[in-house]
Amino acid sequence: MIEVQNLVKEFQHTFAVDDISFSVKSGTIFGLLGPNGAGKTTTIRTVLNIIKPTSGKVLFNGEPIKKDFLNKIGYLPEERGLYKKSKVIDVIVYFAQLKNMSRTQAISEADTWLNRLNIKQYRNNKLEELSKGNQQKIQFITAVIHNPDLMIFDEPFAGFDPINQQEIRELIFSFISAGKIIILSTHQMETAEKLCSEIFLINKGKKVTSGNLARIKREFGGNHVEIKFNGNASFLSSMNEVVKLDTYNNYAEIELKDEVEPSVFLKQIIDKIELTHFSVIEPTLNSIFINLIEQN
Amino acid sequence: MKKILTIAKWEYIEKLKTKAFIISLIITPLIIIGFSILPTLLSNKEELRTKAIGVVDPSGEYFNQLNSELKKYTIDNGQPNYILLNLTTGGKTIDELKSEADKKVLENKIEGYLLIKYGSTDSMSIEYRSENFGSFRDLGRFEEKINKIRIDNELLKKGIDPEVASVIQNNIELQQIKIEKSGKEGKQDFLVVFFSAFIFILLLMMMVIYSGQLLVRSLIEEKSNRLIEILISSCSPEELLTGKILGLSALGLTQIIIWSFIGISLVGGAVIPPEAFENILPMLVYFILGFLFYTTIFVGIGSIVNTEQEAQQMTTYISLILVMPIVIAVSAIQNPDTMIVKVFSYIPLTIPSIMLLRFKVAPVPVSDIIITLAILILSILITLKIAAKIFRIGILSYGKRPTINELISWTREK
Repeated sequence: MIEVQNLVKEFQHTFAVDDISFSVKSGTIFGLLGPNGAGKTTTIRTVLNIIKPTSGKVLFNGEPIKKDFLNKIGYLPEERGLYKKSKVIDVIVYFAQLKNMSRTQAISEADTWLNRLNIKQYRNNKLEELSKGNQQKIQFITAVIHNPDLMIFDEPFAGFDPINQQEIRELIFSFISAGKIIILSTHQMETAEKLCSEIFLINKGKKVTSGNLARIKREFGGNHVEIKFNGNASFLSSMNEVVKLDTYNNYAEIELKDEVEPSVFLKQIIDKIELTHFSVIEPTLNSIFINLIEQN
Repeated sequence: MKKILTIAKWEYIEKLKTKAFIISLIITPLIIIGFSILPTLLSNKEELRTKAIGVVDPSGEYFNQLNSELKKYTIDNGQPNYILLNLTTGGKTIDELKSEADKKVLENKIEGYLLIKYGSTDSMSIEYRSENFGSFRDLGRFEEKINKIRIDNELLKKGIDPEVASVIQNNIELQQIKIEKSGKEGKQDFLVVFFSAFIFILLLMMMVIYSGQLLVRSLIEEKSNRLIEILISSCSPEELLTGKILGLSALGLTQIIIWSFIGISLVGGAVIPPEAFENILPMLVYFILGFLFYTTIFVGIGSIVNTEQEAQQMTTYISLILVMPIVIAVSAIQNPDTMIVKVFSYIPLTIPSIMLLRFKVAPVPVSDIIITLAILILSILITLKIAAKIFRIGILSYGKRPTINELISWTREK
């Protein structure tokens, strides 16, 4: 488990991160979400010990982080780049050795990973000869080759085509089953929605909301249903239960008062109109995100 | 420690494989050798010719004597080096003679000619007139012989015994002997001392500039593609810096060693006097420490600049400090015990070059060696600490170059 307690990072009188606390358990994907410049990368860098916090603590399995902690983390930074003039296998082995792997072990693991990501034919090529997507795969390998306990991925899918995105996504899920701690930083809400069980929404260095994704959706999603029908639906606008109504030809989106249960509302309207479809609308994380940021 | 070696090995091998390194390894000595051998080849060839030299001497006092003196110089096949032609014909003014002789030169009938004006008076003067500049050796010989003849003649006129005259003409050269502890005597030539110390300082400077730039360039590259973040999340900044410094030092050393081998095997003792290799071991210690010290400073710089242009500016200034002792070299060689030399040998930045110089000039007291080594090693350790701190923050600050105040506050951060 990794715990971040009351983290503050001040850069020349501005707070990049202002009193942030969270914890991530093994076997979960923790989504660190926020718009550009919200403080995501600063938070990650502090956890990684790249920069020192102005105040606050980072604990790993209940203890302050020590030097060998560096060997247990894998980091995929947002901006990618490797030694372009060097050979693929050399670069992977170098980074693996920096994580304290032996040379022989590093070579055999590197070959396993190149094979798994279907790029073993580029083993002895220079990095600059590879396509951008394949270079990203190499970078991904350098982040996970040493089987770290804590993995931090900053925008892991940026730059990948849909097929490769799927491949990476499956890999990340396999890390979950292996009990890893994963922190995923992104501003792509759809990605977060598909992967994360816990999220932390950050804006201007401060926490906006955090917790279980399903709970947050219930809390901030509002109470929406959609119906499809035949006939006249104008009576809906005069109902007490309805807050807001968008009617189209044979389709309507209805926002209900918070205390109204959708199933009760269905019983109320089912005799008044010929319904062809009724469903509760799950709010997207994206809309919650935009709403919350705008409220702030 | 293991990570330091991993980093050092990576920096060494990856840079060793680059085209730029291989090219500079081969091209640089080729250029240097080309420059040093070509002139010798050219001037040697020139000596193989017999040269026709005219003499215009209205006083008529010099031609015969000069002719017999210059006949002593021959070239390899026994031919005389110079054939003198008397261009003085009676009844013509000196200006007429001059224009005739000039014409002969331009028509390539003669190499050049000596114009001796007012030969028998006190206001005598000589000109060597030719289309091209004559070689230093030729002119030196002409001057020496004409002077000898003039003084001989003057003394003879005053009625002085030719034997006495030859004693007066006979210069004795002063030889300098350097006394060393071992009881050995060494011939001490100012130029030899100067240049043999100079060679080491120059080598040190070349290595510092070359490796320093490699180091700064690799830092800027890693900074711009954020590789540095992965590196710093894998090892401590001190480990990263030490590894880089060691790897690139080894690279610089490899280069110097290869160049030296090429140089020694091709040119031999002709260029580098054997005296240069006295005290080579202690000098090597200062050389390597000096190199490490400067490289450490470069790291600090590399972490606050963002572009190579900025880096180049700053590295040039620092390298200049290294050569500064050359300025006081003359006084250091003449009198190694002066105050200024002592002062410079306690300033960390100038210790390496001053000590390289002092080892060449006079035996250095053991106490001085211990003190300067202690200062140098301490400076390296302190600089490494400061550089690592600046590095840690500097690598993540992109854009604006930090002010001095910001830098100071960085070094205070824990």
